[in-house]
Amino acid sequence: MKVRTDILRMYKEIHGWVGIVSGLALFIAFFAGAVTMFEEPIQRWASPPTSLSAPVPLERAPELVEAVLAAHPEAARSYDVHLETGPENPARVTWSQGSRRDPQVFLAALAPDGSLEVEEQAASPVAQFIDMLHQQVGLPFAHEVAMPIMGAISLLYFIALVSGVIVLLPSLVSDFFAVRVGKNAKRMWLDVHNVLGIVSLPFHIIMALTAVVFAFHDEFYDLQGAAFMDRGAPRAQMAPPAPPSPRAQDPELLTPAELAQRVESQAPGFTIRAITYHTSREGEPQARLSGHDPRFGLRGPTFGMVEADPVTGALTDTTYMPGLQDAWGATITSFFALHFGSFGGAPIRWSYFLLGLAGAMLFYTGNLLWVESRRKRERKAGAVTQTRATRALGALTVGVPLGCVAGIAITLAAAKPLGTEASAGIHSAIYYVVFTGFVAWALVRGAAQGAIELVPAAALALLTIPLASLAFLDLHPWSQPLVDTVSVALAASLALTARAARHGPRDSVWSHPRREAQADTTSHATAPERKPAI
Amino acid sequence: MTPHLTSRNWAGKTAAGLVLGLALALGVSGLLAALLGVRDSFFSPQGQFTMWIIAPVWCAVLSLCFLFRNGLRAWLWLGVAAAAVWLTLFALGSLS
Repeated sequence: MKVRTDILRMYKEIHGWVGIVSGLALFIAFFAGAVTMFEEPIQRWASPPTSLSAPVPLERAPELVEAVLAAHPEAARSYDVHLETGPENPARVTWSQGSRRDPQVFLAALAPDGSLEVEEQAASPVAQFIDMLHQQVGLPFAHEVAMPIMGAISLLYFIALVSGVIVLLPSLVSDFFAVRVGKNAKRMWLDVHNVLGIVSLPFHIIMALTAVVFAFHDEFYDLQGAAFMDRGAPRAQMAPPAPPSPRAQDPELLTPAELAQRVESQAPGFTIRAITYHTSREGEPQARLSGHDPRFGLRGPTFGMVEADPVTGALTDTTYMPGLQDAWGATITSFFALHFGSFGGAPIRWSYFLLGLAGAMLFYTGNLLWVESRRKRERKAGAVTQTRATRALGALTVGVPLGCVAGIAITLAAAKPLGTEASAGIHSAIYYVVFTGFVAWALVRGAAQGAIELVPAAALALLTIPLASLAFLDLHPWSQPLVDTVSVALAASLALTARAARHGPRDSVWSHPRREAQADTTSHATAPERKPAI
Repeated sequence: MTPHLTSRNWAGKTAAGLVLGLALALGVSGLLAALLGVRDSFFSPQGQFTMWIIAPVWCAVLSLCFLFRNGLRAWLWLGVAAAAVWLTLFALGSLS
């Protein structure tokens, strides 16, 4: 396809600049995002065992709820009955207090003698910390500060996608799937970058657009409200409340088991995980059931939900109910599901994990290409050594991705020794210490030397995860081989690519001072140009 | 012959894409809201859909605004487009 050369050159320059500004942040977002695909196994892996008695069978849940409400009347506002229990969620009944962002979670159980046991404990916060890292593209700021920055990066990301496709259009057919592995390493990296970009383009367009909405939805709603809200119209939500029904006074609720059965009979295929009992504005008891159905996209990262009448079991609001939504509800849900990968079950989770890692590679190779072409330009302009900016960017291209991988690995592994002491703050501190350590090391040692030392270090960091599994076997029963296996696989792939790391031309960011001294006699022009393939 | 496009005058074009792109996108979401009959229920599924529409329109304008020859033309043309959308909204009585 023909595109005017001035347009091509213009978009090539734009692609380079928006890419280099957003690339490292996007690497963190994509690597952390890929990890969150295994949020549930990670929670199960990391959550310390509880000292509570084993959960009562679902049939005895009403007894437990009664005991909780007698001892803790504040729980009546909203409490959860869990149909599925496990290491990350060891209690049949829980309730929470405090803000939505930082809730205190209380777990309740019945001791063998029938007395109430209550413990304040949540699932391990490490999965949520990694999710936060993903949402805030690795920025250690308050949510309100980080989100607009994330939004700006998402806008740059979209521009990078459009400009990248325009630049690629003329050679799309001839270059597609042609990965020229050979002497010209830059050509090879460019081919890899192009294949990754084109093959996963639909995924990236979805991610960029949904991320813009996730960053700015409050602002968008505010703008819409200010511009179009019809203040004269009677508001639907403000409809006069229905006369209090007699059963609101003393409602005879279905037991959780009966309610679940009635809902499942109306929605076969929907597996209920938990029932949240709460009260409507009119004081009527309500139930929200969350669960999953791999046949449909889910509104939440791992669940969809439905509102039901806890007295009759009738479904009252199916806006976010997989399979029972109207077309508009299903459309909105699809936007979320396409971002979360919350459709299609395990195959889609794995695809999203691999697409996320491929995305991280896309940004990493993009950075490599930028640094390398800048070096070439500077050489043409007569500079013998790299400018400080190029050297710093080269070092960051090594330090930031490896620091992110190692930081996530170490903070995840730390969940086991931390046990119940774990908090989001501790996990965050561990991550940022490792991350800044890697970045500082890369800046001090330079890109080439830094990569040779940091790649094995990151691989070792990943190995601390299975190591923690083994070291704390007596405290944490081993239940999630997936987490350990994926860590070992990632460490192995890092170790393999570390072997490919060799020195490049003397002025390259990858030039390796010590080896160069030995290779000084060889002609510079014929020196094979290779880069560490992280 | 048409003058060559360049990325050197990116600042003016980008500013137009950011500001007028958002104005245009918000206007388009308002037209869609009028079409779907979303009046006060912006959190209804239809209302949410109109909010989602802002992102692709804004992103498309922002990534293609570089095709204007310079910043002034970008502001001019996008300004005309945004004015047309918002005047339509005014004529429809959709503004609050």
